[in-house]
Amino acid sequence: MVDMTTTAHSATPDAPTSAATGGPAVVVSDLRQHYGDFEAVRGVSFEIRPGELFALLGTNGAGKTTTIETLEGFRRPSSGTVRVFGEDPHGQPAAIRERTNAVLQGSGLMDDLTVRETVDLARDLAARPRGAGEVLDMVSLTDRRAVAVRQLSGGQKRRLDLALALVTTPEVLYLDEPTTGMDPEARIETWRIISDLKKDGVAILLTTHYLEEAERLADRLAIMHRGQVRVEGTLAGVLEGWGDRVAFAVPEDVGTDDLPALEGADLAVETRDQALWATYTVRRGDVADRAHHAVGALLAWAGERRTTLRHLQVRAPPWRTSSSASPTAPPTWSDPAPPLTDRQPPRQPRRPPSQEPPP
Amino acid sequence: MSPTTAPTAPTARPSLHWMRRTLRLTRTEFTLFVRYKTAWWILSMPVLLLVLTSQMPATEVLDGVSSSELTMAGMLGVTGVFVGVGHASNVFAARRESLVLKRLRVSGVPPLVIFGAATAVIVLFSLAVAVVMVGLIALMLGETPGDPLMLAVAVALNAAVMTLVGLLVTPYVRNAESAQMVSVLPMMVLLFMGGVYFPVDLLPSGVRHVVELLPVAPTAQLAQAAYTGYDVFGGQAGARRPASSACGWRRCPRWG
Repeated sequence: MVDMTTTAHSATPDAPTSAATGGPAVVVSDLRQHYGDFEAVRGVSFEIRPGELFALLGTNGAGKTTTIETLEGFRRPSSGTVRVFGEDPHGQPAAIRERTNAVLQGSGLMDDLTVRETVDLARDLAARPRGAGEVLDMVSLTDRRAVAVRQLSGGQKRRLDLALALVTTPEVLYLDEPTTGMDPEARIETWRIISDLKKDGVAILLTTHYLEEAERLADRLAIMHRGQVRVEGTLAGVLEGWGDRVAFAVPEDVGTDDLPALEGADLAVETRDQALWATYTVRRGDVADRAHHAVGALLAWAGERRTTLRHLQVRAPPWRTSSSASPTAPPTWSDPAPPLTDRQPPRQPRRPPSQEPPP
Repeated sequence: MSPTTAPTAPTARPSLHWMRRTLRLTRTEFTLFVRYKTAWWILSMPVLLLVLTSQMPATEVLDGVSSSELTMAGMLGVTGVFVGVGHASNVFAARRESLVLKRLRVSGVPPLVIFGAATAVIVLFSLAVAVVMVGLIALMLGETPGDPLMLAVAVALNAAVMTLVGLLVTPYVRNAESAQMVSVLPMMVLLFMGGVYFPVDLLPSGVRHVVELLPVAPTAQLAQAAYTGYDVFGGQAGARRPASSACGWRRCPRWG
């Protein structure tokens, strides 16, 4: 069972074997970040070892970028500690800044330079640069080297941004939604490059909206929501532990003991806002259709009892799966919505049985 | 994308000295300045203003030195007001907006290197436009600078300090467009209250003390002294106040 409420993570049992030999390159411990009264990050903890990719998933505003900016040294933590190679990254001390790099959410490119000039500048400023030709070849921009940056497409700019991060041969790499705007082919190739970096021992922190991206690349992942890590672990563990939830307001003529037991589902009954609610959390069965079977069984049960499941809600884990509308669109994190247990149910005034509508 | 292999091991290289980084970034800044049309427009402004100033009625204010010559010489010392305040605020705001500054920072480039490279290019182009202005003054008045080295120092100092002022403007502007608008105010104040158009000695004492505190007054007077060969400061004692003012403005980055 995955912890849905705590924010901490300590052990890294799923880290690659190569990483087990060294200590973590990045350690974040109970990080909190405030913007005035607003708390953007609330007690986030994780570690990343060399050769490991840790993915942060979440909706916009979940706190992913704030976490990365703190690691990059742009923000001092409001509380908690952040360490990169054992050093506080705030202020970008020399011991850290030449060993880390990032792909920003926005490009951060000089439009008046050509692609080659941009890469050459990054090489000029790096202590241990890769060859310009090698880097351009890696991101397939060799034939665009003489083109001004302003003339590149959005996806090409993202690839150039990745190239700039690769030029400096970082040991820790922060990737803030690196494949946003890329076409499917470029996205797959970028995943290959990132996988190669992992094999080279680079510790990588990836933020993404794409579940498939995390599935392909991440050794471990965490799902952030409203500044907190809600779920953390391997992808399989997260999918298994989150579960689909089916909830409804319990009809007045049904007692809690009368509610059916569903195979592979846990039942919780609680009173909220003067109404009785039943929530089934389905964790077993095929991820794609386990909610379907639970709903089918409940509707059959309600039909037999000639009653109605009021305010019936089905909540899958908060991401869309491969049934996305477009076959080329990757699965993405869905619209922000709190888990069912966080929601206030609609007010449902109790009526005497005589006034109940017929089923 | 090409079916390349895993990234190869990097070439071993010693850590770069900040001066080498500054020079390398300066080279790129130079390229960007040349390709930026707005920068050329800003650069032409002091030249245009010099031509307009040459039409002012001339009266002899020092032995053999006319008021227009003194004003034009002073203008050389405030060339950086245009390029420094106007261009620097515009560029820094634009780069902050487009995340270029952040990109440089995450690549390990210290802020001092970023600022140093921008300043170096602004100083360079201020000196270049000063050469053009000296040529125009020589053509119009037949006078050449008495001390070219001192004049170059005045121009360079002014450009460096004005780049700091341009940097100070950027926290108060949202983007490059507003930087272009907002920077006009300090530009005008510094240009017309810096002792170039209104000789400091002729101003009421209260106003004079304020004007001497502005960062343009010392460099304008330095340029006038370099061009005409006169001691416009009034000896060592007279130079103390503008020198203090200039030293005080060097602390701009700490305020920014």
